[in-house]
Amino acid sequence: MAARLQSLPVLLGGSIFFLIAGVFVTIFLPSLEPAASTPTAYARPYTEQELRGRAIYIREGCWYCHTQQVRPPEVNLGTVRVKGDIGPVSTPGDYVYQKPVLWGTTRQGPDLTHVASRVDDKGFPYGSDYGWQRTHLQLPYALIPGSVMPGFGYLPDDEMDALIAYLFTLK
Amino acid sequence: MFSTLLSDEPGSASRRFFLWAIVWLIAPVFIGLFMAILLYAPPVQLLEPAWLRPYINFGRIRPLHVNLAIFGWLSMVYVGAIYYLLPRLAGTKLFSERLANLTLVLWNLFVAAMVISLPLGFNTGRKYAEVVWVLKVLFVAILVLLAVNVWGTVRRRAEKNLYVSAWHFVLAATVFIPVYIIGGKVVPLEIVNGQLALDFSGAYVGMNDNIINFFFVHNLFNVWFTTIAVGLAYYLLPKLTGKPLYSHRLAIWGFFTVWTGQHHQLWSPSPYWLQTLTVIFSILAAIPTSAFLFNFYKTMEGRWSLVVSDIRVRWLVVGTIFWGLTCVQGVAQSFPNFSLGIHFTNWVIAHSHLAFVGDYSFWMFALIYLLLPEVAHRPIYSRRLTEWHFWLTLGGLLIFMLALFAAGLIQGQNWMTGGIPFIETVRAMNSFFLARLIGGALMVVGQLVFAYNIYRTVSAREPVPSRAVSAVAAPASE
Ligand code: HEC
Repeated sequence: MAARLQSLPVLLGGSIFFLIAGVFVTIFLPSLEPAASTPTAYARPYTEQELRGRAIYIREGCWYCHTQQVRPPEVNLGTVRVKGDIGPVSTPGDYVYQKPVLWGTTRQGPDLTHVASRVDDKGFPYGSDYGWQRTHLQLPYALIPGSVMPGFGYLPDDEMDALIAYLFTLK
Repeated sequence: MFSTLLSDEPGSASRRFFLWAIVWLIAPVFIGLFMAILLYAPPVQLLEPAWLRPYINFGRIRPLHVNLAIFGWLSMVYVGAIYYLLPRLAGTKLFSERLANLTLVLWNLFVAAMVISLPLGFNTGRKYAEVVWVLKVLFVAILVLLAVNVWGTVRRRAEKNLYVSAWHFVLAATVFIPVYIIGGKVVPLEIVNGQLALDFSGAYVGMNDNIINFFFVHNLFNVWFTTIAVGLAYYLLPKLTGKPLYSHRLAIWGFFTVWTGQHHQLWSPSPYWLQTLTVIFSILAAIPTSAFLFNFYKTMEGRWSLVVSDIRVRWLVVGTIFWGLTCVQGVAQSFPNFSLGIHFTNWVIAHSHLAFVGDYSFWMFALIYLLLPEVAHRPIYSRRLTEWHFWLTLGGLLIFMLALFAAGLIQGQNWMTGGIPFIETVRAMNSFFLARLIGGALMVVGQLVFAYNIYRTVSAREPVPSRAVSAVAAPASE
């Protein structure tokens, strides 16, 4: 028994079969889901500047600390400043214009899916405020004591503007 | 120069792979330490010279830390071990030592290119697949060279029935190639509006991008890291205990969990049926894990005292305990309710260090302490230093992990309470980050001790005649 199972063709054939089946079921089938290619209200094509900002977001590694996915159980609960301001739940159609998607795996900082719609506890819409975003990005821990977000003051003006333009798409 | 670079001296490729792996171990541990400092005290950034700041900012060096640790250190020990062990298990010579040495040169080129490109900000935005397209192509070429050598060696084997470790090597060296090609979109083509177009971004569109990225991430662990590591553990176990493996039939169970990518993304916008499916497969993965642990336990019976007397057995056994923990956590984390409590938190950072340091690296330390004397024809320089290496690494890792597991649970609770301002949950991390920094520093010192010990070993003047070093043969088999 052991000898037969250990025959190379069987083992390799089995693995490759599992791989192909895995690719079919876990990659190909989901790609057929209509929801993945039907844009929702949160999906929007990017302008050139926004795309550039998005590339800077990737280059600077913002996505290692920030997610862009709101999970169903945290809707109305997740909190950045005010309870529930994490925003509405994410659906596949929100991402149809994104390549790559920036769902992320860790939240050293808050989820940014809807950052541009946020207001603070005094009603100030900091998320869509150019001045706030810029000051914050330049030296976060100076604006928000205890923040672990690094400063990006070294970004040239045009890059900073592009990055903020991208952040503004996160409504 | 080419004749030394592409030497055909038997064992030379393995020796070089081991030594370079240690170089590529020291680099990421220092980067890790630096990141730990930044998370504990971000304003340290302001002490950096302004011109350097962009290149060592957190988001630039984090991928470098990860990629160096797994594609530099771990993978290079793996390949060194395969080049050394496979011929011995197959009762023949390595198919081509020159080709093996060429793999080493290209591998170092690949890693060096990461060291340059990632801090410069060349990043595809996809986890574990950050390097740009050209480097991915280079890596596939490297993997193909490896596969050629592996298959060439196996085809001219003298042993008809290969020991189970060899199957693991063959399988990983073969199946990882398509995984990497699909996961990293190495074939630069895509269909736009029904037309075939070139695309070097390495990314797919929308939800599918994440699904494929995590298919890749999971199978990088499953097909490459776990398959080879378990193969090596199956080599070390009988070799170090002097007992045959308890069961060969149990040993070959472990490969078939290639389906579970999206269990890394529970509650995400990916299809619910897919998440459910991956949960089921993740739970099934407990079967091969248990089989391995059972096999390990039965083989160790009567030999447990070696844990005290033989440092290599100690690395192996403690590594296996951590492996068991990794798998238990892995199954637990794939339960949606549990995932909800720890996903996105620092728990995940602890979990990945449990796997990559506590398990895989611990096994590789056992392996290096066993094989390096053979490939370098010299005994390990200092036994005392091996003890220091062990205790510093274990102590540091435990502090590091306990801090971050606790931190993660607290973060998760805070987030799911609702109404706690996010910044409060960040501030709450500060003392845990200090503990992590201390644990990390201990681990760094441990690795420096290790590197020093190995350096003294290989630069010792008098090579002992290779007879004096324990001869390697295939492990006792049934
Ligand atoms: C080391 C982790 C880290 C990195 C890297 C990082 N951030 Fe942050 N970010 C944080 C933390 C922590 C906070 C919460 C405290 C604060 O507002 O500074 C935050 C907050 C934010 C906020 C405010 C969100 C809100 O609603 O209050 C924005 C916007 C933001 N980050 C954007 C970015 C961008 C853009 C980048 C990349 C250029 C980036 N972050 C990189 C950790 C990080």
